[in-house]
Amino acid sequence: MKEVPVKIEQNGAWIGIRLGLEEDHMVIPPPVNRKVAFRDVINLEERKNLLIVTVRGNPETVYRILTVEKVVAIMRRLILTHCNGYRLNAYFLSPAIRGGVLVTDAQWEKGSIVVVRTGIWFASAGKQVCVPLSDVADIELTKKEVQGRQTDVVKIDHVDAGEVVTSFVLCPISTLQVLYNFLTDATKSMEMKGDELDEYDQQVAMLVYSGMDSSAIINMLSLNNKRLNAIYDKLINLGIAEVVEVRREVKLTTKGIKYIADATKQ
Amino acid sequence: MGRILIVDDTLFMRTLLKNILFSGGHTIVGEAADGEEGIAKYKELKPDLVTMDVVMPKMNGIESLKGIRQFDPNAKVVMCTAVGQEQMVKLAIKTGARGYIVKPFQAPKVLEEVKNVLAS
Repeated sequence: MKEVPVKIEQNGAWIGIRLGLEEDHMVIPPPVNRKVAFRDVINLEERKNLLIVTVRGNPETVYRILTVEKVVAIMRRLILTHCNGYRLNAYFLSPAIRGGVLVTDAQWEKGSIVVVRTGIWFASAGKQVCVPLSDVADIELTKKEVQGRQTDVVKIDHVDAGEVVTSFVLCPISTLQVLYNFLTDATKSMEMKGDELDEYDQQVAMLVYSGMDSSAIINMLSLNNKRLNAIYDKLINLGIAEVVEVRREVKLTTKGIKYIADATKQ
Repeated sequence: MGRILIVDDTLFMRTLLKNILFSGGHTIVGEAADGEEGIAKYKELKPDLVTMDVVMPKMNGIESLKGIRQFDPNAKVVMCTAVGQEQMVKLAIKTGARGYIVKPFQAPKVLEEVKNVLAS
């Protein structure tokens, strides 16, 4: 058994241990003292060098494991190979588009798609990428040209570090349909009817997406502040936008006007 | 920083691109609403770079790109496509497009692509 140095969270404190790793299980030594079969792992999340592993049981157990990137990569691969999630063999292209710009060196990778409770993992021998379901902006069953042929694919748009990233999954159409249905169901809360926004609302949403601030939007669409605020309220109430900054407009008091008048005399 | 011509049939997209490029320090030397006008404006203004929509009335972006490249084989043209227009992208590559942005796009990425193409 290989042993790797990690820190594990217990009762709010981080404890340094040597974690035992086998192909299909890990052994957490005292004070945790538990053997965890990877097939019992029902969720895997990653935040930088932190792995959050949820193991089935009544109640479920969550292990928060902090370690170096190399060990994270090994653990991630082992867990994703054996864990209890919806798994299918597929080709994936991720990321294919980032912020609206084609990733020119992107290549199809052969591996598997593992869908766990909170995310979709694209996993190949050398690469594992996670898309949290909460970051999925759109899922579409569409066609894409692959080796000169129009091929059925699932297109997944997700948000990564503030940028919209598009990935594609390629596998037999019956499996794609299952994946599409699964993901659509998992991200139901993100769905909209489609008639909630009028043309102006859509244009404002598009401009926000493109990175325009309020004054640029007002100039571009010839809106006044009140109208723009009403559109923002609509977007916020629909859950498709959130407030990041509140700006203030001020006017000078008599004291301020006097100060400016005096300053210009000098 | 570059002198840029924007070719797109929708006023909204032209205005958006204009704002993004202007915020990146570029000068917008002209706008065109279709492929034919794009070629004419290119000949007149000789910009450093063109952003070219693919789907436009009268003459599409690919034909316009061909026309511009006939006039100036070194023209730097960045195509604006929608997702799913891979065939168009492929055609644009063959025709000599230097860069591609996919709608909807985000300002920092557009500026990065334009910077790369201007530097190429």
